[in-house]
Amino acid sequence: MKKFFTKINLVLLMVVALFTTSVLSGCKNKGNEFVIGMSGPLTGGAAVYGLAVQKSAEMAVEEINALGGLNGYKFKLVATDDMHDPSKVSTNYASLMKQGMNFSLGCVTTKPCLEFKNLSKDDNLFFITPSATNDSVPEFANGYQMCFADTKQGTFSAQYINSNYEAGSLTIGVLYRAGDDYSQGIYQNFIDAIDTTKFGNVVVASFNEENPSSLESQVQSLKNCTLVFLPIYYTPASTFMTQAKDIISPNCVYFGCDGLDGIDGIQGFDINTIPQEISYLSHFNSNATTGLAKEFIDKYTAKNGKDTLNQFGASAYDCVYAIYNALKKAVEAGKNVTPKTSVSELCEILKEEFKTLSFNGVTGNNISWDSSGFVNKEAVKYIVKEKNS
Amino acid sequence: MLDFIVTFINGLSLGGIYAMIALGYTMVYGIAKMLNFAHGDIIMVSGYILIVFMGITGNIPLSILISIFFAGMFGVLMEKSAYMPLRGASPLAVLITAIGVSYLLQSVAQMIFGSAPKYVVIANLGSVNLFGLSIQLYKIITLAVTIVIMVVLSLFIKFSKTGRAMIAVSEDRGASGLMGIDSNKIISITFLIGAMLASVACTLYFLLTPNINPTFGAKPGIKAFTAAVIGGIGSIPGAMIGGIFLGIIECFSNSIPVLSPYTDAIEFLILIILLLVRPTGILGKKRKEKV
Repeated sequence: MKKFFTKINLVLLMVVALFTTSVLSGCKNKGNEFVIGMSGPLTGGAAVYGLAVQKSAEMAVEEINALGGLNGYKFKLVATDDMHDPSKVSTNYASLMKQGMNFSLGCVTTKPCLEFKNLSKDDNLFFITPSATNDSVPEFANGYQMCFADTKQGTFSAQYINSNYEAGSLTIGVLYRAGDDYSQGIYQNFIDAIDTTKFGNVVVASFNEENPSSLESQVQSLKNCTLVFLPIYYTPASTFMTQAKDIISPNCVYFGCDGLDGIDGIQGFDINTIPQEISYLSHFNSNATTGLAKEFIDKYTAKNGKDTLNQFGASAYDCVYAIYNALKKAVEAGKNVTPKTSVSELCEILKEEFKTLSFNGVTGNNISWDSSGFVNKEAVKYIVKEKNS
Repeated sequence: MLDFIVTFINGLSLGGIYAMIALGYTMVYGIAKMLNFAHGDIIMVSGYILIVFMGITGNIPLSILISIFFAGMFGVLMEKSAYMPLRGASPLAVLITAIGVSYLLQSVAQMIFGSAPKYVVIANLGSVNLFGLSIQLYKIITLAVTIVIMVVLSLFIKFSKTGRAMIAVSEDRGASGLMGIDSNKIISITFLIGAMLASVACTLYFLLTPNINPTFGAKPGIKAFTAAVIGGIGSIPGAMIGGIFLGIIECFSNSIPVLSPYTDAIEFLILIILLLVRPTGILGKKRKEKV
């Protein structure tokens, strides 16, 4: 019996201890600084993205604090680790709210962010994700994206081609995967936005397997194209490029979306065996030599090295500045903006400011948002491999 | 017109690969009276064996021979360990076991090699100019290999002792046993040949497509099974005709933009129509089943 009570006491002690720590950890924000919360993979296989976002956002926060913060209040970033696992997000969200989160960068990766958007809806918490690309991330009014949404990449790719190539200089082809939301969505938006009066009709080819074995018939249909748009993932793209290398002209340009990001990392695949130019739409050029992107790269690598330098971080840096710029505008307009203002009120203020906000960032000039939370900015063509000369 | 011919040749060479895999299905069905749904996965296993030995030896032709040998042994091992204990069990039990073996192989491959695709280049053959047409050499090789194997296999079955024993077992297993044929041995040999053909198909596949992952064998497996059924399952020339027929349909469907999203659907639609018209397939024989 005595043993039994000892056990009970132990359990009670542990419960009390847990309770105390959770209460204490909930008291961190005393309302004297703005807290930006984020959840991302800081450990595990996707850690390179989460760490890039954390480090870049911290860099932006330090810069803003060095300028004196906003309205007399400093900023603080609180990062939680979700290991790219959606089931960890609700715990992280609760912990961030306890620590006094005023607004958020949402989640770094898409699946956790879909969880985050549902959790933040009821609190009406403003979030702007640097890198969760799914179209439904900004579904509710409190959600925004700094990255291009998946299928919007079709529109931006078409706009890039419309404005960067001369009329009649291209025969455009598209290879997409039928039945795949990502690929078909981008394809549809691309076809709607491409200027056919300028370039003539687009040659269309498609396949419907995840990893098709033969794309030879498709290569045959596209063989006279001088630009092939590839809104597909890099594995089928590598099959296509291999089967097309002797058939499609070496002067042809392969232009993809973020699905091609990583094509230079496929085990055993040497992109230099492909004679054509391989490129994809992006909002950040990690080899930039001018402008804000160059400044960011220099600052980042001086502080954190080159390992985690990627578009996720660049985008997160812009997210923090977007929030800061919007709040600054609100303060100038005489609105009540302090860390003690309720989450929902801050969200309404930010939403109002985001309607007219436009600023130049690392990931593009004239960054602005439409009423659904989708970003509008200039895309860049990131060249993975130049054509062989 | 030129495009038409090129697409036709693409179809022939893709069909040749399907035919080679379909031969394995059809022989096993004809002789062991079972559908080996793990046959497609032997292609995948053979592919990984090839990659491993390419890494070890660095010699591609040698690695191809080794992979064919090991794939054959693997087929026999699979038959001995999974299917032989079920001899005499209901066909449904054997079918479920075959599906189980298929998943087992895919999962084990995923544990060992990971789920990310691996890119393999076994040869860069270039192309030749034939009657003003530029044709990639591997297509010609694929076709030639398919035809040679087809002829050799037909001769083997018709004239060798083992081959005739195979026909005997497929006609009547009980009676052939009474004539002194060891049906277990014949079934093992069938699996050996089927698996080796799958391994050859895998090598030809690598000439065509460079990516392999643990589920790599599933799709060609299903396609080849369809080809075997179209040709008449159990019939060796039928598997050949079915494979090439399917390859040509696939390539033509893929070359027409309106149809290409529905290529798989078209292939299976043709299968359904054909089975309605000829329930035994193109060259299948009608036979009375004892109930």
